[in-house]
Amino acid sequence: MGSTPMCNLVLFLAILHSVLPFSLGEDKPAESYWLLRFKSGLVDPAGVLDNWSPRAHMCSWNGLTCSPNQTHVLGINLSSSELSGSISHELWHLTSLEILDLSSNSLTGSIPSELGKLQNLQMLLLYRNSLSGKIPEEIGLLKNLQVLRIGDNLLSGEITPSIGNLTQLRVLGLAYCQFNGSIPSGIGNLKHLVSLDLQNNSLDGHIPEEIHGCEELQNLAASNNKFEGDIPASMGMLRSLQILNLANNSLSGSIPVELGQISNLQYLRAISLSNAQLKNLTTLVLSGNDLTGNIPSNFCLSNSSKLKQLFLARNSLSGKFQLDLLNCRSLQQLDLSDNNFEGGLPSGIEKLEHLTDLQLNNNSFSGNLPSEIGNMSNLESLILFDNMITGRLPPEIGKLQRLSTIYLYDNQMSGGIPGELTNCTSLTKIDFFGNHFTGSIPETIGKLKNLNVLQLRQNELSGPIPPSLGYCKRLQIMALADNKISGTLPATFRFLTELNKITLYNNSFEGPLPASLFLLKNLNIINFSHNRFSGSISPLLGSNSLTALDLTNNSFSGPIPSALTQSRNLSRLRLAHNHLSGEIPSEFGALTKLNFFDLSFNNLTGEVPPQLSNCKKIQHFLLSNNQLAGTMPPWLGSLEELGELDFSFNKFHGNIPAELGNCSGLLKLSLHSNKLSGNIPQEIGNLTSLNVLTLQRNNLSGLIPSTIQECKKIFELRLSENFLTGSIPPELGKLTELQVILDLSENSLSGEIPSSLGNLIKLERLNVSLNHLQGEVPFSLTKLTSLHMLNLSNNDLQGQLPSTFSGFPLSSFLGNEKLCGPPLVSCLESAGQDNKGLSNTAVVGIIVAIVFTSTLICLVMLYMIVRIWYNWRKVSISSTGGGGAEQRREEEKWEYGEKEKRRNGEYWKVNSMALAPSQDKQNPSTCIFHFKMDAEITGNTLV
Amino acid sequence: MAHFYLLSVFLSLLLSFSPSLSSNSEGNALHALRSRLVDPTNALQSWDPALVNPCTWFHVVCDSNSHVTRLDLGNSNISGTLGPELGQLKHLKYLELYRNDIGGKIPKELGNLKNLVSMDMYGNKFEGEIPKSFAKLKSLIFLRLNNNKLSGSIPRELTTLKELKVFDVSNNDLCGTIPVDGPFASFPMESFVNNRLNGPELKGLVPYDFGC
Repeated sequence: MGSTPMCNLVLFLAILHSVLPFSLGEDKPAESYWLLRFKSGLVDPAGVLDNWSPRAHMCSWNGLTCSPNQTHVLGINLSSSELSGSISHELWHLTSLEILDLSSNSLTGSIPSELGKLQNLQMLLLYRNSLSGKIPEEIGLLKNLQVLRIGDNLLSGEITPSIGNLTQLRVLGLAYCQFNGSIPSGIGNLKHLVSLDLQNNSLDGHIPEEIHGCEELQNLAASNNKFEGDIPASMGMLRSLQILNLANNSLSGSIPVELGQISNLQYLRAISLSNAQLKNLTTLVLSGNDLTGNIPSNFCLSNSSKLKQLFLARNSLSGKFQLDLLNCRSLQQLDLSDNNFEGGLPSGIEKLEHLTDLQLNNNSFSGNLPSEIGNMSNLESLILFDNMITGRLPPEIGKLQRLSTIYLYDNQMSGGIPGELTNCTSLTKIDFFGNHFTGSIPETIGKLKNLNVLQLRQNELSGPIPPSLGYCKRLQIMALADNKISGTLPATFRFLTELNKITLYNNSFEGPLPASLFLLKNLNIINFSHNRFSGSISPLLGSNSLTALDLTNNSFSGPIPSALTQSRNLSRLRLAHNHLSGEIPSEFGALTKLNFFDLSFNNLTGEVPPQLSNCKKIQHFLLSNNQLAGTMPPWLGSLEELGELDFSFNKFHGNIPAELGNCSGLLKLSLHSNKLSGNIPQEIGNLTSLNVLTLQRNNLSGLIPSTIQECKKIFELRLSENFLTGSIPPELGKLTELQVILDLSENSLSGEIPSSLGNLIKLERLNVSLNHLQGEVPFSLTKLTSLHMLNLSNNDLQGQLPSTFSGFPLSSFLGNEKLCGPPLVSCLESAGQDNKGLSNTAVVGIIVAIVFTSTLICLVMLYMIVRIWYNWRKVSISSTGGGGAEQRREEEKWEYGEKEKRRNGEYWKVNSMALAPSQDKQNPSTCIFHFKMDAEITGNTLV
Repeated sequence: MAHFYLLSVFLSLLLSFSPSLSSNSEGNALHALRSRLVDPTNALQSWDPALVNPCTWFHVVCDSNSHVTRLDLGNSNISGTLGPELGQLKHLKYLELYRNDIGGKIPKELGNLKNLVSMDMYGNKFEGEIPKSFAKLKSLIFLRLNNNKLSGSIPRELTTLKELKVFDVSNNDLCGTIPVDGPFASFPMESFVNNRLNGPELKGLVPYDFGC
């Protein structure tokens, strides 16, 4: 390529040499000279211009059309000639040129402004190149230009206003460039314009009102720009318009009356003309704008409307289904999807007898599906998903012989699926997901020989699967999940050889699978979870292209077949909650794509096969609740993708491998309820993403590693029921995300509770019971305001409990002999108890104190007796003591509650309360009982 | 009595089942969130919208009815923005998005998370105002929005959050005065430092809002 310029130069000099003598005799150089200059600017790898040589007459050169007298070039057509390079600035010398077609090449550079001098040019075709820069203003000088197509280039800038001078223009193609700015208003001068294509640019602003001047316009395509504002009402005067495509802009406002509705008096003159004017319109595309309001009421005023396609999807249109639309009798495709339409579908919709596609999804249409829809005999696709349609699917639907697609999902439809639906033998796709259909799947479903997709998930279907479903031999996707379907799978399913995906989860299927299912070789995704299937899973393994197999929560039994490994792309294998037995097949090591591996809750035995270390993609490794034994394999640390490891409730023994610390993405590590021993490895601190760590119920010993402080994101930590010793590391206080629980109970931990635990402000449960913890309960623990459950019981804690702990039950603190304060006995009392075994001096002191206090009490009593005797004499009426009165006030509260209950008619409850064992032997009880009776009476009189 | 008990068990079962049978709206909401986030370390790789529910996705925790209760994306090198769809996670209790690079406004729809206990969004690039709708988060205990670029005033509506125990808006660009009512009576001044706040609201005087 490097030699190309040099070649060109040599070529140029040669041309100059040969042409000059010839041209010297003329006033100006001959046209062939300028053509060769033009050639010299081009790179021509295909050799299209090879015969452009001075030795031959230019009229014999490829791609040229000459005048009859062979003196002037009238046309240059070098379209699709693999040319690159740029367009010569000197082409204007070809003054007779009428047609210049350089389209579909790889030309670069700009459009030479000198082209404006080609006064005879009628057709300028430069589309599909890599031209850049702006449209030269001089293009407006081409008075005779009829066709200007320069789209699909890298042109940018604004569309030159001078384009309005091209009054002969019939075709203007500017699509697929990078033009910005707005459409020049001079566009309205182009009286003869038939086609205006501005698609896929960055044009903005309003569509100019003046567009109505383009009286002959048939095709206006301005989609995928940034046009904004209203659609000009004057557009209604474009009487020849056939295609109007304004999709994917930012147009707002309503669809104008001229295309619909008016709100503005100044346009009144246009209304009378409006719809008649647009009677040639066949396609109207306004999808993907921001249009509001409803479709204009007189949209198709006459039944002679030629409108075939009306696409208004993805706007903000609202209101009810516009009945006047039913006058658009020629309509074949109607797309109103993704708007805010509401209300029912009119029964008159049958008037749209030519309609093939009715797309109303993602609106708020409600009410029933009119039975008249069965008369729309041309209907091929009925797409109504994501609305609020209720009621039954009318049996008349069965008359639609051409219906291929019916999407009713995410509605509120109910009743049975009519058997007549199976008369629609053209059906390929049925999607009723997320409705309330009841009853069973029609017995005759097997008539739908073309059915590819049957999606009935999340309905209330019951009964067994009709065997005829197996005759829908083209079926690729069968989704019956989340229903109440029962019975066994019919053996006819063996005919569904194209079946790719089958999801039956959350139903009531039962029994063993038909062995013939093994014939389904194309199965890719199987989800039978949450049913009651039993027997062997082998019938599901005929395919070697399974990617997901989910049989969770069934009653499958027998060993896990090693044949599963024939599906080398298997990524989700979920067999949990079954009765599978035997060992994990070592062949699973071949499943290198395995991502979700869940065999938990089965009866598996043996060890974890070392071959599984090849399954490097495993993210979920779940083997819990089996009888697996052996040691935890150190290669687990090489599973870099591991996020969840659950080996809990097995019989694993030996150490926790330190290599696990390499699984830096691990979020959940559950090894509890095994026989693991040794220390918790220091490397646990490398698991900085860890959320959950459960190691309880093992034989772990040694210290709690302080490195655990690095697991900053941990919210659940359970180390209970082990043989851990030493003190609780204060670093635990740095795990401020701890929330679910911190459980260190039933170990041999000693020392004091670190006050740093008070930093765990999100903690809801703290259990350090059944250890040998000493010292006082740190006051900082009162900062744990989220704490629901606290268990400090059965330790050697001492001192006074912080008063805020009085709300916790007694059991939270029992078994700490030296601990006192509510809810335990008050510290004064416990001090008394404490002193029982104290030294003699202390005993003497206590005796002195006792003697002193008892003397004091005697004096007080003497004083009281004197007072009482004094009062007796005065009033001679006795009363109960002060303490009793207080108790009574409490009982009064109880009583109030009872009274409330009595009013609810539960009389018997009062008596049962009165006879409550805690009260009936107490002294004041009779008193209370009377009081209660009084209250009852009061209650009755009040009612 | 026994009948009543059975009935109530039946009803509670019904109640607990019907929402879980609704389509995968929580998964869809999370997936919509994912589409707004930039995730260079692939923390959200496991968020596959084709799955029945999001409960096997990493960093997502569900309750026994398959409702999302925790979203743990703290310290995950995530940028991008949040969207209104997060407000659909009606059962969410813990929203942990701290120490990332998430920007844009905090969606007001987060106020719909009625069960939220903790909203930790500190250490991001959130801007705009603290949504007033947070006053609807009646279960909220922890609200930490510190070290962001939040502006505007502290909504007075937050004083109605009776459960709120930990509140931190330090290191933002907030203005106006600091509320003193309700739980705000007990928050330390460190929770408000490095803003353009004008100190505690003066009770009894006409309320003033300098620079807000």
